Amino acid sequence: MSRKYRIVLAGNPNCGKTTIFNCLTGARQHVGNYPGVTVESKTGNFMLGEDEIELIDIPGVYSLSSSSPEEGVAFEELTRPGIDLIMNVIDSSIPQRSLYLSTQLAELHIPMLIVFNMSDEAKKKGLKFSIQKLQSYFGCSIVQTVGSRGDGIDKLKNALAESLLHLEDHDVPKLTYGADVDDAIHEIVEWIEPAMTDRVRHIPARFFAIKLLEKDTCVMRLPEFQGLDAIIDAQITHLYARHAITAETFMADCRYAMISGACRDAISFTQERRREISDKIDAVVTNQWVGLPLFFVIMYLMFWFTFTCAAPMTAGIEWLFAWIQSLIERFWSPDFQPVFRSLLIDGVIHGVGGVVIFLPNILFLFLAIAFLEDTGYMARAAFVMDGIMRKFDLQGKSFVPLVLGFGCNVPAIMATRSIESERDRRTTILVLPLMSCGARLPIYVLLVPAFFAVKYQAFVMFLIYAIGVAFAMLAARLLKSTLFKGDGEVYLMELPPYRVPTAKSILLHMWDRGVMYLKKAGTIILGVSVLLFIANNFPEKKTFDADYGAQIMAVASDTSLSADEQSAAFKHIENLRRAESAEYTISGRVGRFLEPAFKPIGFDWRVTTAAIGALAAKEVFVSQLGILYAEGEVAEDASDDQQEPLRKILRRAYTPLQGFCMMLFCLLSIPCLATLAIIRKELNSWKWMFFEAAGLFALAYVTTFVVYQLGLLLKIGTDYLL
Amino acid sequence: MSNDSSPAGKTGASASPVTKQGECTLAELPVGQTAVVINMKPSLRGKKKFADVGIVPGTLLQMEAHAPFGGLLRIKVMESSLSIHRDDAANIIIRKQELP
Repeated sequence: MSRKYRIVLAGNPNCGKTTIFNCLTGARQHVGNYPGVTVESKTGNFMLGEDEIELIDIPGVYSLSSSSPEEGVAFEELTRPGIDLIMNVIDSSIPQRSLYLSTQLAELHIPMLIVFNMSDEAKKKGLKFSIQKLQSYFGCSIVQTVGSRGDGIDKLKNALAESLLHLEDHDVPKLTYGADVDDAIHEIVEWIEPAMTDRVRHIPARFFAIKLLEKDTCVMRLPEFQGLDAIIDAQITHLYARHAITAETFMADCRYAMISGACRDAISFTQERRREISDKIDAVVTNQWVGLPLFFVIMYLMFWFTFTCAAPMTAGIEWLFAWIQSLIERFWSPDFQPVFRSLLIDGVIHGVGGVVIFLPNILFLFLAIAFLEDTGYMARAAFVMDGIMRKFDLQGKSFVPLVLGFGCNVPAIMATRSIESERDRRTTILVLPLMSCGARLPIYVLLVPAFFAVKYQAFVMFLIYAIGVAFAMLAARLLKSTLFKGDGEVYLMELPPYRVPTAKSILLHMWDRGVMYLKKAGTIILGVSVLLFIANNFPEKKTFDADYGAQIMAVASDTSLSADEQSAAFKHIENLRRAESAEYTISGRVGRFLEPAFKPIGFDWRVTTAAIGALAAKEVFVSQLGILYAEGEVAEDASDDQQEPLRKILRRAYTPLQGFCMMLFCLLSIPCLATLAIIRKELNSWKWMFFEAAGLFALAYVTTFVVYQLGLLLKIGTDYLL
Repeated sequence: MSNDSSPAGKTGASASPVTKQGECTLAELPVGQTAVVINMKPSLRGKKKFADVGIVPGTLLQMEAHAPFGGLLRIKVMESSLSIHRDDAANIIIRKQELP
């Protein structure tokens, strides 16, 4: 008979839970080699024989308490009724520390299965386990696996099936903390047992008794256990007086003592523990003097890699879209359904194509980030950067999310959950949109070569990113000294050992990101492009203010002009006509209406509408310019330089100063709607979201205004010569 | 385990005030040296957090590195590498001890 089971995966941060999760469910959740990759519970399903298994991957925690958002999530998930089995994944290369959580899970008296993951690393370290003894100690089965290679997964499935057969008569672990502690626990159990309501009855009273002895805030707050303070305090005073140790650490001490007892019995070193390679690398990478310069070299390499390696592929995609366009132009006569032809060419191809071109940059950026994550370098980067971050009132833990922000702000904002300090977390979230994300990259890649000579391009690109980082740091400082004032919290971060990343994991991450980007191009950006196309073309202007026909006639009949002069005059008149009809459209009207407000920062109505479109997704800025200028220009560039017609047009239309201001504005202004939505979710407040949007808009406007006006005044960047 | 003084380890820890005979705080432990945890000062914040990762009396630990600009320390506890802040380490009392 087939049944449905609910299984929770629990374990320390970075012990490989998600890898096991992926192995079992065939899912492709992101894994990385730094603590706290999984920040919220994820559910996956798989079939085990006839039975359907619902597997829940919860954030990694060191302990079952509630001192950080992740621990809160884990605690809540594990104390919810209806769990059939806990699968406790441990990093078996560090058994003592890992089994600490197991002792607490065991006290829930839910059937358990322990997975000794990373058993290859344990073996290398010379660790040998007496699985038999450990099994009887924890009262459950133990399976050894190497999640990254998929070793032992079949054994794990068998053991799981076996455990599920014996859910009703599972063993109870024999965990004792010594006579006096057990007496105290027993005493409290007597008191709280009558107070237990149905809501909490599925959890043993002993578990709560121990939590109360530990003074766990989450359990102490439960309404069932109110009014017992005096009894608990009496037990605590009694115990702690005998052991001369403080309340918070007493049980931890007991547990570690118990584990070291168990370890002495069941775990042995078969060979001299050698200094690991990881330590040798760290001696250099986290060195007080070398660490920081090395970090900057690595960051530089990351960006160099992103731009240089992507260049040939970008050219290929550009060629592909040009080819598709020429194909359509050849086979679709301009007389047949001209509006739809134009929608396809100018709206879809220029809009979506203009964005898809940057796919290689995105892929390589995520490849680089995934590599740094999976090797374990990210945690080191947080370590070496902590000192500098603290100068700006942030901390090392804020650093990883900020770097992830260069990829995409949305997952980066979610990654801030590993920051315990709520003030630091809020600050980090609010400044994160200033980290220039991958979606803003297309804007720079379009504009920088359009306005700056080759020798300045790398510098300008770097400058834009650096301005974002500088503003983020200053904003953090400002926020921390005003809204989020207060003492910092305890800093504690584990540095995982270096691991050779698996090609599969890195490529999968890159692939997923690439698919996401293309999906975005095919949905939001396509939709917005079509909308913008409509806004850019309708309503159509039928009668013009000036009689262009007459003007053309006049030029044509003027015999004093040479053929070249004549065609130049035709073009001029044609452009005037197009400009007039463009202004008549929805975009033109909105842009014109807003133009006075944006003129002081160097924007004309076209750029203004592009900046509005960028709210949907930053790349839309590029597609809107592509659509507008494909519309508003006489096709004279078709013959020369196929590669960069848009850049040429832009170069003629704007000064480098204006180009720079566009990038500056896009960098600093309101992030895309997806980012705003995640900010609202993570800060759980509409107020903060609007505060963020208004604040960033003000910052962008004022900064761009100052730069543009200063530039005009000092005549910097008003000519292409720059 | 090597006991040579790397550049970061030269900060005259022996000259700093000791709590009891042979005891000092974790913040004063030179890079490369090992020590055993004796106790936590009452002023230590987040005692439970440190206890959860294995920093309890009797634990053997080793100072692995100091971060640039002084804030963080990297220590090895129970086979894993932890980074903690110097201010917190100053509240953890240890006794230097060679590895057995």
